[in-house]
Amino acid sequence: MTRLILKRLGMMVVMLLGLAIITFSIANIAPGDPARLAAGPDATPEMVEQIRETRGFDKPLPVRFALYVGQLVRGDLGTSVYTGRSVSDDIAQFLPATMELVFFAITIAIVFGIPLGTLAALWQNRFPDHGIRLIAVSGAALPMFWLGLMLQWYLALELGWFPLGGRLGVFDDVPPQITGMITIDALLNGDPRTALTALWYMVLPAAALSLPALAAIIRVNRAEMLEVLGRDYVINAKAQGIGPLRITAIYAQKNAILPSLAMIGLRFGWMLGGTVLVEGVFDFPGIGLYAAKAAVSSDFEPIMAVTLILGAAFMFTNLLIDLAYAVLDPRVRNQV
Amino acid sequence: MMDSTPILDIRDFSLVFDTFDGAYHAIDKVDLSLAAGEAVALVGETGCGKSVLTRAAFGLVPSPPARITSGSVRLDGRELLGLSDRELRGVRGKDVAMIFQDPMTYLNPVFRIGTQLTDAIRAQSGGKVKRAEARDIALGMLEKVHLPNPERQFKAYPHELSGGMRQRILIAMALAAKPKLLIADEPTTALDVTIQAQILDLMAELVEDMGLTMIMISHDLGVVAQVCSRVAVMYAGKIVEDAPIGQIFDAPAHPYTKGLLDALPHPFKRVERLASIPGTLPDLLNPPKGCRFAQRCASAHAACDAPVGLRRVAPQHTVACTLFEDTPMKDPVHEH
Repeated sequence: MTRLILKRLGMMVVMLLGLAIITFSIANIAPGDPARLAAGPDATPEMVEQIRETRGFDKPLPVRFALYVGQLVRGDLGTSVYTGRSVSDDIAQFLPATMELVFFAITIAIVFGIPLGTLAALWQNRFPDHGIRLIAVSGAALPMFWLGLMLQWYLALELGWFPLGGRLGVFDDVPPQITGMITIDALLNGDPRTALTALWYMVLPAAALSLPALAAIIRVNRAEMLEVLGRDYVINAKAQGIGPLRITAIYAQKNAILPSLAMIGLRFGWMLGGTVLVEGVFDFPGIGLYAAKAAVSSDFEPIMAVTLILGAAFMFTNLLIDLAYAVLDPRVRNQV
Repeated sequence: MMDSTPILDIRDFSLVFDTFDGAYHAIDKVDLSLAAGEAVALVGETGCGKSVLTRAAFGLVPSPPARITSGSVRLDGRELLGLSDRELRGVRGKDVAMIFQDPMTYLNPVFRIGTQLTDAIRAQSGGKVKRAEARDIALGMLEKVHLPNPERQFKAYPHELSGGMRQRILIAMALAAKPKLLIADEPTTALDVTIQAQILDLMAELVEDMGLTMIMISHDLGVVAQVCSRVAVMYAGKIVEDAPIGQIFDAPAHPYTKGLLDALPHPFKRVERLASIPGTLPDLLNPPKGCRFAQRCASAHAACDAPVGLRRVAPQHTVACTLFEDTPMKDPVHEH
């Protein structure tokens, strides 16, 4: 198991390097003079030339890439023109918020997706199945940002059940930053009320973010459950007189959940990308909103850094998923 | 055979599958009765309804699409048709145990052997047996089926064991509750020949030791001859002949039984090709009114178009064929 983890971490480094090549190329092939952009609109030609030299923009691309990687290894992600701060500081501030939101969203997708998929399979082609499939189809069809707008309009504006956006209200106490995730920091600070409030603020964006994943998990779990419930070992369990609840929830589910796991890993990545849209709708100060603002102002270093960070988060999540696979399926465990 | 109540008494049992094209008459007015300690073989070609009959009688065939249209199934005098799912679950495992064709697929791949055995044993007892006690019973059973190293196999997963070992485990699981009736559904078909012989020896030994009453389903007359004392031949959802094993081999009555025997390879006769029965199963969406074998039968004549029931040709030998006259005789098995 340890060997598997080390091997996968090694592969992650290689993949991240590949990702760095891609983001670096895109940033440098894009039209516009990077030195002029970095210097700002009011800079004199001399200032632009000076920046070109100090930042190395006059050197050939491969050299600049090597310099860039060297910078990354030292943990220097560059400077944001837009915020005027170092990108690492910005990310340290915004990434925990996004992670909190995405974890909440994926939890919603799993907690509702697995049981709904199972129920749909148990009532195949009957009324509950049709209802659940409607959710699944809508989740796949509705764009996240549109859904976010609708939720915001109806549940926040019309009914006033949820806040319109943000992470906390103006009058809420922000807990001292430990992890950067408000719910966790508040709980660590012994303030469950603020933790709940922060959770409350995340309900709508997390719902918008989770619906496509929820839909995917329902579909995969339903299909897999239908398949597994017809397998021979389920018939054998019935022949032994084992009850239907135990057969469904344990005997069949532990087999049926495996493809959903792969789906969860994939959808987690999509959600990270989706934050760019959803955080904008809900004015949620996370890394998605940060990246969107950077993109609008052609602020390349933050964009490249966010791409790398989200890529790493995606890879790491999929490593965790693979480990979960090995825990659940002994046949996988023996292969590694 | 001294016992007046048979262990299993199936009377006039008919079952259809509702399909888009209409009712598929899978089983038609089947009578089958087993006295305590009897080992009866149910033989017939693939698709003749052997497995459906023995599974449907104990509520293991999903309904819909299956529908039992007539008959009664009595286990040790107790009527099973019309019992609730919960009541049937109490019967399965405890009173009626089953072992199946393919040991590779009837064990759950993601649970340890020990977990599956103890779960089954606890379910068979209706939850009365504690986990530790179930473990002792399971280990005892594994020894009884001559599984080497029971303690170690207990912690193994199914994929780590060979087909023969898995079938021994399934036999141990089935017999742990000392059931009144064992249904062995082609228990050796998926195993290679040497393992087949070992498993048959084991089953013969257990039938003897535990005084089991058993139905063994097979399409191989050679296999059943080693374990069973009586044979019921099934064709297209009907029992066409029922006789002691000696009589089936020495004096088969039904043309279909003769055809099956001709298809067996003979160790001392060299033949160019083994005999086969021409034609295929009749269309059971519109089954023939008369004998279902008539269209493939060389001896078919006009009388075969009328329905034909089982006729007695010898004290314990009945056959559903118009070539024979019914001779009323006292038969201890079918007498009540």
